[in-house]
Amino acid sequence: MLDPRHATLLEAADAISSGAISSLELTRACLERAHRLNAELNCFVSIDDALAMREAAAADAARAAGQPLGLLHGVPVAFKDMFYSPERATSGGSRIRAGFRGGVEATVVSRIRAAGAVNLGSLGMTEFAFGPTGHNAFYGACRNPWNTAYIAGGSSSGAGSALAARIVFGALGSDTGGSIRGPASVNGVLGLKPTYGRVSRAGAMPLSWSIDHIGPLARTAGDLARLLKVIAGHDPNDASSSRHAVPDYEAALTTPASGLRIGVPSNFFFEGVDAGLKDVLDAALARFAAGGARLVEVRVPAPEHLTELGRAIMYSEAAALHGHWLRTRPDDYSPQIRARAATGLAIPAASYVEALQLRAPMLRAFVTEVFGACDVLATPTLAVPVPTLASTDVGGSPAMWQTIAALVRCVAPFNFLGLPALSLPAGFTAGGLPAGLQLIARPFAEARLITAAAAYQAATDWHLRLPPHA
Amino acid sequence: MPNAPAPPALTPEIVAALASLEGYPALDAETAARIAVGATNAVRAVALSATASSFAAEPADFLAELERLAEQR
Repeated sequence: MLDPRHATLLEAADAISSGAISSLELTRACLERAHRLNAELNCFVSIDDALAMREAAAADAARAAGQPLGLLHGVPVAFKDMFYSPERATSGGSRIRAGFRGGVEATVVSRIRAAGAVNLGSLGMTEFAFGPTGHNAFYGACRNPWNTAYIAGGSSSGAGSALAARIVFGALGSDTGGSIRGPASVNGVLGLKPTYGRVSRAGAMPLSWSIDHIGPLARTAGDLARLLKVIAGHDPNDASSSRHAVPDYEAALTTPASGLRIGVPSNFFFEGVDAGLKDVLDAALARFAAGGARLVEVRVPAPEHLTELGRAIMYSEAAALHGHWLRTRPDDYSPQIRARAATGLAIPAASYVEALQLRAPMLRAFVTEVFGACDVLATPTLAVPVPTLASTDVGGSPAMWQTIAALVRCVAPFNFLGLPALSLPAGFTAGGLPAGLQLIARPFAEARLITAAAAYQAATDWHLRLPPHA
Repeated sequence: MPNAPAPPALTPEIVAALASLEGYPALDAETAARIAVGATNAVRAVALSATASSFAAEPADFLAELERLAEQR
């Protein structure tokens, strides 16, 4: 019997394809884990036993009939509760959309399903994908399987937590200001925010259409490559999706990483980083160097305003998206999300448009200066060790902005710039909580990030360690 | 040495007036104060970053710019 605690997504797919295990057996085992661990972690909004078992039975029947098998055939996964589906309710982590059923299926869900995966249910998230901690006033806070007193991150809280707890083999999240990479970092898994336009957003709940990104979370670089391979590519239903060629991301797993130039920023990103966390990240960089990568110091152009420029866009667009409900149902928001969603009402339209206009020239300067000197830029994912749920339970209090800023400082700039960015499990801080190293590449160079991540995981065992709640 | 003047900022009163103009229900003072801080930070960042003319900048070209930079080596 394949053990979900130790098997990778690729191993699970191979085992099902070869008949070593059935999808029904594996799905049943994962559902048992989901129910048991969800009581501790609150990582699912809903666990859909009947639908999952039906999909698993169909996967086994297809194999028995000799039909072609997809890349994820029979493998249990789950999605953040914001991807529309006619079969399942999609709350977006909110009270306002509780029970909402989209008339269409999100393109990424269709692609994952077409590849044969089994969906166990809807993963918990921050209300309307708005927040980096994983608190949710309506559905309760999601918890970290390494220590349930600590945050699971946000907004793709359940995706990070359920993956680390070995309930699912892969997950999908969204990232508007670090919402894939933050949860990946604090839960000790990989999370990729692809290049803007690389993955379709059709049928996904929006927060800010200019800087929303959809991407995978997984435990290994190989699993991540498989998921990206399935979901990447142009979608006629999403006008913002790119026609740029999709490479074979799994081929990147065996591309040599020796000689890779890894840029280490001399400004901004490592400033003020917790000393213990910095030791962990320095050790990770040293491991890259020991594997033949070349560490080069890089000065990042104008990083200090990137996060706020992204916020000028995000708050303006969010206020427009939420305007009707903010006017008619303000009390159905939690205080923090109401304040954040309404912040755009005070941003002048000219400032919003100027922020949009600044994206291309600032991207050009960043790519030219940074990726002229290195192949991959390395930064902390979080600049602070994983905080507790209690210390970040700030609601709409005056501490709100400071708490959020500390968590998104290193990740949000890359939503504004649209660059691909991946959080890689890089070790543990003194408290036993995971630490993530963020790797960034030039536009559409996700394969390079996968190469770097695969090389690092081949030389380390952080991703093999089991959290106490798994 | 005299203190430097505080940079201009949105006040909760301005936020409340804008909210009213835009048809939002009356904001409580705390929410208006939070919005004032968040919006001030964002607007200030735009003002500090807009150092050159953007007369020819078309925001819809951003995806094309990403694709162009992907090819540039």
